[in-house]
Amino acid sequence: MAYEKPLPNPDENTQPFFDGLKEHKLLLQYFPSADHYQYPYSDRCYKDWSTDWEWRESAGNGEVYTWVRMHQLYHPSWKAEIPYTLAVVQLDEGPRMHTNLVRVPVEDVHVGMRVKIHFDDVTDEFTLPKFEPA
Amino acid sequence: MSDPIRGQTAICGLGITEMGKVYGHDASWFAGESIRLAVEDAGLQKDDIDGLLVNPGITGMMGSGIGIPLQGYLGLRNLRLLNHMNSYGATASAMVQYAAFAVHHGMANYVACIFSDAPLQQGGSAGAAYGGAGRRGPSGMASLMPAFGFYGANTSYALAARRYMERYGITNNDLGRVSVTQRRYAVDNPHATMRQPLTLEDYHNSRWIVEPFHLLDCCLVSNGAVCTIVTTAERARDLKSSPAYIWGMGQGHPGNFPHAEVEVGTTSGATIAGETAYKMAGVGPEDVDICEFYDCYTYTVLRTIEDYGLAKPGEAIGLYPEDPADPEAELPTINTGGGQLSSYYMWGMTPISEGVIQARGSGGDRQIEKNDIVLCSGNGGTLDTHGTLILSPNAN
Repeated sequence: MAYEKPLPNPDENTQPFFDGLKEHKLLLQYFPSADHYQYPYSDRCYKDWSTDWEWRESAGNGEVYTWVRMHQLYHPSWKAEIPYTLAVVQLDEGPRMHTNLVRVPVEDVHVGMRVKIHFDDVTDEFTLPKFEPA
Repeated sequence: MSDPIRGQTAICGLGITEMGKVYGHDASWFAGESIRLAVEDAGLQKDDIDGLLVNPGITGMMGSGIGIPLQGYLGLRNLRLLNHMNSYGATASAMVQYAAFAVHHGMANYVACIFSDAPLQQGGSAGAAYGGAGRRGPSGMASLMPAFGFYGANTSYALAARRYMERYGITNNDLGRVSVTQRRYAVDNPHATMRQPLTLEDYHNSRWIVEPFHLLDCCLVSNGAVCTIVTTAERARDLKSSPAYIWGMGQGHPGNFPHAEVEVGTTSGATIAGETAYKMAGVGPEDVDICEFYDCYTYTVLRTIEDYGLAKPGEAIGLYPEDPADPEAELPTINTGGGQLSSYYMWGMTPISEGVIQARGSGGDRQIEKNDIVLCSGNGGTLDTHGTLILSPNAN
């Protein structure tokens, strides 16, 4: 069955990030002058305003910062999955990511739960960075 | 020690239009009604208005909201102060603050501060009015949000609420106690949209929106407008309606930084804004008689109570009765008009409008007897921006 949920829409700046996901790598922006990992993308470090940075691969480990169960239907493609679990994961490198949790029953989800990256190849073109229990 | 500006300015006019599912009018029309009512309430003439500050609601993001052209629509030809302001839900407080400084220093005499919105359309749902606004296919990393199924403000606040709830052991029943309390006040508020009494059972039976939020944890969506007119204390004294004197003002804007260094969900800008406003007013949390807090969600109220120092972190729920539907239960004097949850959703003007009513003593059946210090909050983004006003019926 065709994948009908909304797909990412990379732009020039974030194409390397989405290419990385396809290769099962989670890339974060690293700004050396402030020793700071930043997500989501920005052309400037918000700590010291530096514009020098590089992509670095994240270890993909972190913990659940918070989570919810979505019951409201905003887009028809989610109909079969409602209610579904949404989470914010705190990566060990510092940044927090909005994501989906997989391979875990909702009863077991809690703030502080250790998780690791799960690359979900949703189409031939796109891979989504989801998380599963560590 | 208070600041010399304490009590030197006042809200002298208040206009609240019909609220809720009022169809067939745009935001400019509601704005026109609100300023007409406010000028009449103050006993002023149209030409007395020499300042106009506007804050569009969600229709401002949809292209049909009020803005600078409102001056032409209203035919205001004496303006010495004009601005379209935006710090989201903190804007209403910011408008009143800017107006207060302007009148205090002679830049204007009577400044009309207007919030107006008309997102509801006949046959459309409240969720469609808000969820649909500005949803035009994000690009870059933001496009991951719909790809994961994140939509709307309900979700961001539910995420903040969950973290707060797990940290302090707050339950859905606790959130329900806030919801039911505010409805009891709304029953006695003729401006309120939802005036049917509620029970905790009704709360638990209301459908889930984004767990941990039931429908009855979420604010209304309203068509309508509120106008407040700000002037000096000296001018306000001789006008038709009793003034609500402005004692304290403050802002605090923690912003949104998704990083381990910055805590989200268990803090808000109220801590800084409150401290600034308390200092200006020369009062502290122990002096506050009535709170009118921005209550986009039940959770926001608990968070705000704690950040203003009115309860310790995690303990705000202790101010609420176990069963607020019990007629014998004593209610906290918080959101005494029903708030955004039950009365009307005019962003930051909801708390300020009820604050003015309480400070004037014109709250009818819902009037709180001791009203010397009325603390009003505005909050925007997901606890990203915050504004404070402290109002009083007393000039000093």
